[in-house]
Amino acid sequence: MALSANARSNGGGSATVAQRYGLPISLPTSNPNNITSLQKELMDIMTKPTPGVTAFPDDENMMRWTATIEGPDDTPYAGLTFKLSMAFASNYPYTAPGVLFKTPIYHPNVDFSGRICLDILKDKWSAIYNINSVLLSLQSLLGEPNVSSPLNGQAAELWDKDPAEYKRLVLARHKAPEELDA
Amino acid sequence: MDHRSLIFASVFPVPSLSHSTPTPIATPDLGYTAPGQSFGSPYGGNTGGQHRAVNRNIAWSTATRFLTLSRSSLGASFDALRYQRTAEIEEALQYLLVGEGKSEDGHEEDLVDWYTNEARVHFATQVRSRLIEPWKKEIELRHSWEVLRETQELLLQVQKSYLDPFNQHILPFIQRANRASTIRPTSSADQEEDGEANNVSRRFRRDVHAIFAHSLPPQRYSKTLSYILYDSGCRIFSVYLRHDGVKPDSTPENVRAFRQRMIALLRGLDQVGLGGDIAQKAFAHAMDKLIDSFIVSHYTKVDWFTKKSIVPHLRMFMRDGFCAFVELVLECLRCYPSSVQPAELASWQEMALGRLGRVRVENLFDFVINWDKSLGAFLDIKEYLKVAGAKQHLTSSFSQQISRRLLHAGATTTYILNVYISIIRAFHELEPKGVLLERVARPIRRYLKEREDTARIIITSLLTDINDEAGSKFLSSGELSFEIATEMQKPFANFNQDADEELNWNDLNWQPLPTDASPDYKKSKVEDVVWFLLTLWEREDFINELKNILGDHLLRCEDPEYEKEIRLLELIKVRLGDDKLQACEVMLRDVLDSKRINAAIRASSAPSRVTDPRLPQTPENAAPRTPRPRRGTANTPSSVPRLRSSAQPTLNAQILSSFFWPLLREDHFLVPAQIQTLQNDYEARFERIKGMRKLRWMNALGDGSVTLELEDRTEEFDHLTPWQVSTIYAFQPQPGEEWASKTRSRGKGKEKESSIARNVSQLEEMLEMDEQLVRQALAFWVGQSVLRESASDTFEVIERATPANIDTEAAAAAQEIAEVQAAQQAGAVRSQADLLAEKKDVYMSFIFGMLTNQGNLPVQRILMMMRMMVQGGFPFGDEEVKGLLGEMEGESKVICVGGEVWGIRR
Repeated sequence: MALSANARSNGGGSATVAQRYGLPISLPTSNPNNITSLQKELMDIMTKPTPGVTAFPDDENMMRWTATIEGPDDTPYAGLTFKLSMAFASNYPYTAPGVLFKTPIYHPNVDFSGRICLDILKDKWSAIYNINSVLLSLQSLLGEPNVSSPLNGQAAELWDKDPAEYKRLVLARHKAPEELDA
Repeated sequence: MDHRSLIFASVFPVPSLSHSTPTPIATPDLGYTAPGQSFGSPYGGNTGGQHRAVNRNIAWSTATRFLTLSRSSLGASFDALRYQRTAEIEEALQYLLVGEGKSEDGHEEDLVDWYTNEARVHFATQVRSRLIEPWKKEIELRHSWEVLRETQELLLQVQKSYLDPFNQHILPFIQRANRASTIRPTSSADQEEDGEANNVSRRFRRDVHAIFAHSLPPQRYSKTLSYILYDSGCRIFSVYLRHDGVKPDSTPENVRAFRQRMIALLRGLDQVGLGGDIAQKAFAHAMDKLIDSFIVSHYTKVDWFTKKSIVPHLRMFMRDGFCAFVELVLECLRCYPSSVQPAELASWQEMALGRLGRVRVENLFDFVINWDKSLGAFLDIKEYLKVAGAKQHLTSSFSQQISRRLLHAGATTTYILNVYISIIRAFHELEPKGVLLERVARPIRRYLKEREDTARIIITSLLTDINDEAGSKFLSSGELSFEIATEMQKPFANFNQDADEELNWNDLNWQPLPTDASPDYKKSKVEDVVWFLLTLWEREDFINELKNILGDHLLRCEDPEYEKEIRLLELIKVRLGDDKLQACEVMLRDVLDSKRINAAIRASSAPSRVTDPRLPQTPENAAPRTPRPRRGTANTPSSVPRLRSSAQPTLNAQILSSFFWPLLREDHFLVPAQIQTLQNDYEARFERIKGMRKLRWMNALGDGSVTLELEDRTEEFDHLTPWQVSTIYAFQPQPGEEWASKTRSRGKGKEKESSIARNVSQLEEMLEMDEQLVRQALAFWVGQSVLRESASDTFEVIERATPANIDTEAAAAAQEIAEVQAAQQAGAVRSQADLLAEKKDVYMSFIFGMLTNQGNLPVQRILMMMRMMVQGGFPFGDEEVKGLLGEMEGESKVICVGGEVWGIRR
């Protein structure tokens, strides 16, 4: 069910979405709306938790969250836990959240600062996405990297050629959350 | 001094060192030649001085020998024999006192000084030891009078013995000399001379008094004197609760005689010089205590009947009684001025008032409890508040009393509320502006807010009609406050609390806030107890609580017209503003509408159904809730009169708009088939009448009446809960069990002779009901001697009540259990604990998510985040969070990493 990085099926900008859902075209900028929607998302995540992904606000103003995803089974990332930071703009969900890997990760589409190359976080963002879907997309990105437009060329190369070496580098780069906290 | 005189002095001791030893007469009288007579000495020019010294020595000897005080006896030291002044002595005295021998420039000893010294030495050697004998140790209070009197008498005697010689042998010479030397016998000159004599005399007396005064231990003396004065005061004013613990004689004392005794003693003391500063200080001390004692003794009694202040009486006493006494004593001690100035009187009155006030404030809590019989005491305190510092004292003292006597776990909330109401009323009397009230009430309000049942009690009490049969309920139930209910009946001033009075510029009666008001002080113009109670919480919180309680109340209410509820809602609307009470109005309208709909539906169904005329229609309550955001209506089946197969049960429903009602309990179970049919029928008709609305039955909220026909008896039960009805209905023969009824001779009863028996799990299955409810219902029926437990967890119907099969003890026990259980889940509206249990999963997943993403957090932080993050709020505290964490720890999800910090278990 996860959206792959090169999925092209989610066409439509935010305005289109707004029209389709009968939402006002002028994007709301006031914080209360935005906080309410984030609060609702939090509620949804908490009442219907998805295994393997979770997220929680950093403080009461809810504009910054920390998320945790677990590496999918049958991938080099199996059994690893990754932390991400999410920053929401005041007009969220009409703009994409800024997402970064906080845990060092070795991945074709993530650079060494944790920046992610994923279309739905860039030009393919749509207001129908939410935190949960973003996290699920990222989780699936771990198992299905888009090696055609890599940020980490070595990883892209090794992904196809030498899975064993790839896995070794993944494990070498990974740090457990406890190590990060410390 | 010349050489010879020095030699002389070295041979014969200097007179001043041994006044009492006369210079031997045999000494060559070198200098005592007649004036002018030539002695032929080459030093003739100096003879005058030498002669004078010698002469003086002789005269000194003579005079001092004469004046020496006897060492042997005390009082009569100056015996009569020596009263005879010989000419020689006279001459000597004359010479020394006023003649040439008079001391000059202080070079030579003055006879008066010598005599003073003589008296001092005599006192020290002869009198003092005896005098201070009783003063060596603490003087017991009961001996004070005697000791003081003896001392005074002794001193008086001694003083006389010193003064007599002085007055007879010394003073007259000085006076005479003065008079003789006066040329102009004018009155002013007389006075001057007398003045000089007086000076000498006064100085002597003063010295003597100083000797006396120094001989007594000053502290002990002033303490004793102070006690004497205090004692006198107490006796004269018949104080019966004394500072010193002395119990007054039961026989009335002769105040007049006592007064004389005191006056005599005081005068005597003053005569021997024991008045003065020491005595005045002692007196002040005594009066200080006297005021206290007097107030404690006479004014602590509150006038419970006439409800008058005693302050005017106190002022009168201070003016007419106390002042008079003070003046009397001052006069005896010869203080000037001996009369009391008006300003002093005023300050004394104030002091007395201050003391009275403090005594009153000490007992303020009791007065509050006994309001308004204690009005007198409050009027006193009101006067006291004018004294400087009184307000602070009152606030701190009363706060202490409150925290010690009221705000503890032992006091029921109802009691605290009642006391709070008394405080409001009493302090309104005390200080209508309410600043004090606000200050003392703050801890109470804070404390009340913490109590869980406060809001419930307030609202329930508000909803109670005291004129009702409920009057008796107040006595039995601790859950209602009679005071609040009474308060609600009162007409009240209609004031709009939203109006900001500070901005009302047309208010000509505007006054600035009191200077001592705190920032959150609000002017309350009316003494509106209900207003104080309703403002305990934020208005929204309060209205939420009101909704819950009103919902519960409406569902239980048996008055088909809901008159009282309507009235009370109107009253509350006036107080809280009607905009916020929309939900409550809807709730009220729901129950009223339900009645109409019931009637309409029943009318439409009448042709097809015969309502059993024998059964009264019981209005039933049911509250359903639709989860949809649009306004749904739901209803519950309520009264389920259970009839024999020939009679149809009837059903009334309450239709509630779930959106506006609080969360209601939704236990699921099957109702008897007959009722089920009725419900479906009702639902169909309802949907016809109301169009698009859907009904959702909330079976747990009903109320039913059944008639049980057993083999030997018929019993009727009213006000049963639906699960009780369902459970007993389950004992009807089921398909396949007809054998049971067939064996019966009459065949009509629903229970068979051999009795149908069912066990708990069977019932759970049949009714799809929680075990807890099943057990509760079973316990109820066992308590009613309808069922009995034939084997463990198996129950059967008692078809025939015989002593053999009715175990009254078991029934009683079961009844008790049933009552306890019923009480536990009495409310139709869900409690906080239910809410917590219901949302536990969400909360736990919140905590889990929080800890997963944010790392280890302390409990406080978790609680804060929950409050901020959970939609719809997190109405719980530390304890609940810890409970949740504990539970999660049990599931090995989280772990306590030290202190109150928790983290994810990895």
